[in-house]
Amino acid sequence: MRVRSPKNASLFGSLTGRLRLTRHVAARGLLSLSGIPAPIVGAFSLIGIVFVPIGLASLSASQAIVELVDRYDAECVSASDKVGFIQDTKTDKACTRTITVPKPMKGPVHIYYQLENFYQNHRRYVKSRSDKQLRYKDATNLIKTCEPEGTSADGAPIVPCGLIAWSLFNDTYSFSVNKKAIEVNKKNIAWESDKSSKFGSDVYPKISRKGDSLVAASWMRKCQKLYGRIESDIMASDEITVVIQNNYNTYSFGGTKALVLSTTSWIGGKNNFIGVAYVAIGGICFFLALCFVILHVVKPRTLGDPSYLSWNKESPDHPN
Amino acid sequence: MASERPLLTITPGASTPDEAPSPRPPAASQLPPAQPEPPLRPDRLAFSVEVPDPFCPSRRGDGPDPSASSQREREDDGDGGESRAVTIGDPLTSEAFPGNSIRTAKYSVLTFLPRNLFEQFRRLSYIYFLVITVLNQLPQVAVFGRGASVLPLAFVLFVTAVKDAYEDFRRHRSDRQENNRLASVLVPGTDSEFQPKKWKKIRVGDVVRMASSETLPADMVLLATSDPSGVAHVQTVNLDGETNLKTRYAKQETQVRFSQNGSIGGVLHCERPNRNIYGFQANLEIDDNRVSLGPSNIVLRGCELKNTTWAIGVVVYAGKETKVMLNNSGAPSKRSRLETQLNRETVILSIMLIGMCTTASVLAGIWVLNHRGELEFTQFFREKDYTTGKNYNYYGVGMQIFITFLMAVIVYQVIIPISLYISMELVRLGQAYFMGADKDLYDESSRSKFQCRALNINEDLGQIRYVFSDKTGTLTENKMEFQCTSIHGVDYSCGKDTDRYSVVVGDHLWTPKMAVKIDPQLVKLLRNGGTNKEAKLVLEFFIALAACNTIVPLVLNTRDHKQKLIDYQGESPDEQALAYAAASYGIVLVERTSGYIVIDVLGDRQRFDILGLHEFDSDRKRMSVIVGCPDQTVKLYVKDKLQNGVPEAIESLRQADIKVWILTGDKQETAISIGYSYGTSLVYILETELQEELFELATQCSVVLCCRVAPLQKAGIVALIKNRTDDMTLAIGDGANDVSMIQMADVGVGISGQEGRQAVMASDFSMGQFRFLVPLLYVLYTAFTLTTAITEWSSLLYTVLYTSLPTIVIGILDKDLSKATVLAYPKLYGSGQRDEKYNVNMFVLNMLEALWQSLVVFYIPYFAYKQSTIDISSLGDLWALAPVIVVNIQLAMDIIRWNWIIHAFVWGTVSATTICLFVIDSIWVLPGYG
Repeated sequence: MRVRSPKNASLFGSLTGRLRLTRHVAARGLLSLSGIPAPIVGAFSLIGIVFVPIGLASLSASQAIVELVDRYDAECVSASDKVGFIQDTKTDKACTRTITVPKPMKGPVHIYYQLENFYQNHRRYVKSRSDKQLRYKDATNLIKTCEPEGTSADGAPIVPCGLIAWSLFNDTYSFSVNKKAIEVNKKNIAWESDKSSKFGSDVYPKISRKGDSLVAASWMRKCQKLYGRIESDIMASDEITVVIQNNYNTYSFGGTKALVLSTTSWIGGKNNFIGVAYVAIGGICFFLALCFVILHVVKPRTLGDPSYLSWNKESPDHPN
Repeated sequence: MASERPLLTITPGASTPDEAPSPRPPAASQLPPAQPEPPLRPDRLAFSVEVPDPFCPSRRGDGPDPSASSQREREDDGDGGESRAVTIGDPLTSEAFPGNSIRTAKYSVLTFLPRNLFEQFRRLSYIYFLVITVLNQLPQVAVFGRGASVLPLAFVLFVTAVKDAYEDFRRHRSDRQENNRLASVLVPGTDSEFQPKKWKKIRVGDVVRMASSETLPADMVLLATSDPSGVAHVQTVNLDGETNLKTRYAKQETQVRFSQNGSIGGVLHCERPNRNIYGFQANLEIDDNRVSLGPSNIVLRGCELKNTTWAIGVVVYAGKETKVMLNNSGAPSKRSRLETQLNRETVILSIMLIGMCTTASVLAGIWVLNHRGELEFTQFFREKDYTTGKNYNYYGVGMQIFITFLMAVIVYQVIIPISLYISMELVRLGQAYFMGADKDLYDESSRSKFQCRALNINEDLGQIRYVFSDKTGTLTENKMEFQCTSIHGVDYSCGKDTDRYSVVVGDHLWTPKMAVKIDPQLVKLLRNGGTNKEAKLVLEFFIALAACNTIVPLVLNTRDHKQKLIDYQGESPDEQALAYAAASYGIVLVERTSGYIVIDVLGDRQRFDILGLHEFDSDRKRMSVIVGCPDQTVKLYVKDKLQNGVPEAIESLRQADIKVWILTGDKQETAISIGYSYGTSLVYILETELQEELFELATQCSVVLCCRVAPLQKAGIVALIKNRTDDMTLAIGDGANDVSMIQMADVGVGISGQEGRQAVMASDFSMGQFRFLVPLLYVLYTAFTLTTAITEWSSLLYTVLYTSLPTIVIGILDKDLSKATVLAYPKLYGSGQRDEKYNVNMFVLNMLEALWQSLVVFYIPYFAYKQSTIDISSLGDLWALAPVIVVNIQLAMDIIRWNWIIHAFVWGTVSATTICLFVIDSIWVLPGYG
């Protein structure tokens, strides 16, 4: 907040004794005759009153969310040559992980995969795609922006082309709770608008890579990626067993892979930051409002007092 | 306050029957001393430099010594010694000299594009934008689409070009009007056949016939006039600002020849064209005689012929060689101080930009080096094209760094927002409009609005420290009024009634043009006949008023045939005032020739022979005329009628620490009396050689009067101050004689001193330029490869539209203070002078503030959505919208006077941006879709 009211000016004036205000501030002191303390105190209080409850509510919602993160990239490869292992198409890459649920998880439980050290916003990566090809059936040949994954070795255009589609995440997960297999709902993991208009319903992959077109759509949206949902509730101390087909190569660049299970609430996933930020800002505003009130009681000042104007500051009775 | 001075003495003449005893001998040494000067206040420097005025020793112009006239100017011209020969009546021999067409416009249709672009690209920042745009055309580097990156620069250039074209079009129009005016020119080879000819076709050597009230098309030597003695009267108000008539003479040799055989031949040798409007040297070879010609024989372009039925002259200087054009030093493109400052800050910002780009590219290089072994298979990099086995868009670490650097330049270019320049242009246009529409700046009597002709210096109005004013007609209305008088020790108070006295001439009724308040007591004294001594004195007094001057009565026709108006044309306003006063009391000056005057004394027409005349000069402080009449020494008060509120305005300017210099072509007396009425110190500057001393002394004074200053000297004084201090200067003037001065000053005001208005909140301009540090931070999360989170259209729209519109509106509409407050506290003006609103400290503060805001704008959404499936383009929308909201709230906090338009724009922008983002992201054909 800029200092621009007489009230503010007096705050600083009293804090530092004979502090000479900058002329800028002082000249403005007169200008904002309307900047009386009540609205300022009121504004700060209002911000506090609105922000603190929002923050507290967000915090409690975030605290109620149960989030389980299981990083599996290291444990699922026993071989010393990790890159060689992952590039070998013949080896069985199945890997079983067991997770104990500490708190009851209310369905639907969202399943995410999370990659780290994967620069998904790298310029070369982001630009390597063809929106037109994904939308129109006839635009198969529009692969100019897809380099270096535009055409296959025989020169035919790849659909979907580009690095993003080429690097589709191809690990698979199958879940069982307490040794009982449980279905993962993979519907509706892509955005409705992506399905309806961004990706044409009559466009099908011509070079097949594992996974259907819905998974592709989800992969186009980057960050933490939604894999699917478990619709049923999971009780505390239940054991979730995940069989992972560990196909995706993050080993060549030192990336990590993790599986994330999370319940949701009205604020989305688990994130305390929003709540803390709201509470902090609201608190600061309350504090400022209080300061102004105290100042006004301790050292009242006439509004628009011309003696605070810049040249009066330089007058003989205010020697520099 | 009044300046009192003994006005005139009349020496006893032989033919006066009723001798009145002369109360005092008319010797100069025994004059009553001038009124004591106001006591000097110790805190102000008051002095006077008594240096004989070399520049304009005579008001009449019939005797100035050309050799003494401004040494400096002649040095400027350098080649004063050479001469040109003009054959009278034979323009063909003078073909080599320029024609009479003039050109004040800057561009022609052909030169407009290159010259205007050149002028525009004088701005450093435009070159910067050009470089960015060119960079973006390289395929390796292109961050934005090619077309999209050209648009903003093209738009700015276009808007400015249109504005310049319109301004120049108006100049072209006035040039054309001027060039196509008609003058009556002698057909070569004939004796006296005059035909109308366009001004632009007139050539040196043409003989031109001028009629009364016509404006002269070129500088001409007078050959003959309607007056048998060869006298012509001209008004030189456009040249030197003096409104009185000046007498010019045709040489008797040519005058006589013309009246005898109607044609004049001969060759004229004159000096090369120069700027000195008071000097001219030439000689005329006619019938084997050599006649020398001086400044009194030449009439200059721009003058008006007055009170002379016709005059004939030969053109010696035409077009751009005329003295008035030479004194017009061309219309320079002025750059406001804000603009200069902006250019400087553009340089600072560029350095910062280079720093940022270097950092980004070095970090990118380090990243590539660290991951060199992994890049081949890394999904997001893919160093190699697997099909061909060659590198794909990868040129090694060094080249990668270089490309990253260029891309960074493009991405971070927004740090110097081009919208700033668009905003500035538009803000100026808007301000000019509102200044024009301001009712307080509307002069009802002349129906003239405030006109803003040079748009780019509005904002400097708030930073003036020196005001250079032309006195004539600016501070005074060039009108004086007879107020009260003291005749032989008896005070006659100011009159109350207005009455016009008319004279019967034949069957016509002649009435003085101006009515003066008269004192009934005096009228009574006069009308009751000159029986007692007092009445006689009063009568003598008024006869002296009517006689002792250089007034030429002009008789004007009115609609009523029987009515005629007498207009007194005189050398100075005070003479006119006195003559009008005398006329109101019944003593009417009816006719003046060089030999006699006719005065109607209360209906009794008397002829006074002029036996001798001693003009007014500042040493004797009086004027004497010897006529065949009684004599009397009189004292009287004249008060210069200052323009409404002038003393108040000056006082207010002084309080605001603005130094007022009055540069006037007018005489000292008037200037001094104005100076006294401010009650402040004054200085005469009559000598330009003493620049150093002059500067040191004068800058200590708050009010400086400079008298008898020629146009270029005025400009010189302005330049002196401008060059030696950093302070802003403002020049005010009303006539063509002020043009040089006005062009020299930082701010020229064409008509009147209306600059008390607080101008711009310039600090608003620097708003928003740092919000785009957001992309910088973002780069940290893309391995320094400069992906933009915000779609290209959004970021272009951001600079041009989202944040600049409200800034523009506020720049135009917001005022720091109400007018009343400003008028009440003139010292507030100081805040603008000291650049409080926009200076380097503010700039740094703004930058720090912006840095903080961009951190907040970036990291709050980033942390809030870190653990979610929200992707980069969604977050990008948030990053695009947040700065717009921040900028507008920031603006809202800076706004001091709200009105509904500002409300509409500030909140409208926020909602418009939101809508734009929705539209861009949700319509398939738009690039933000996804």
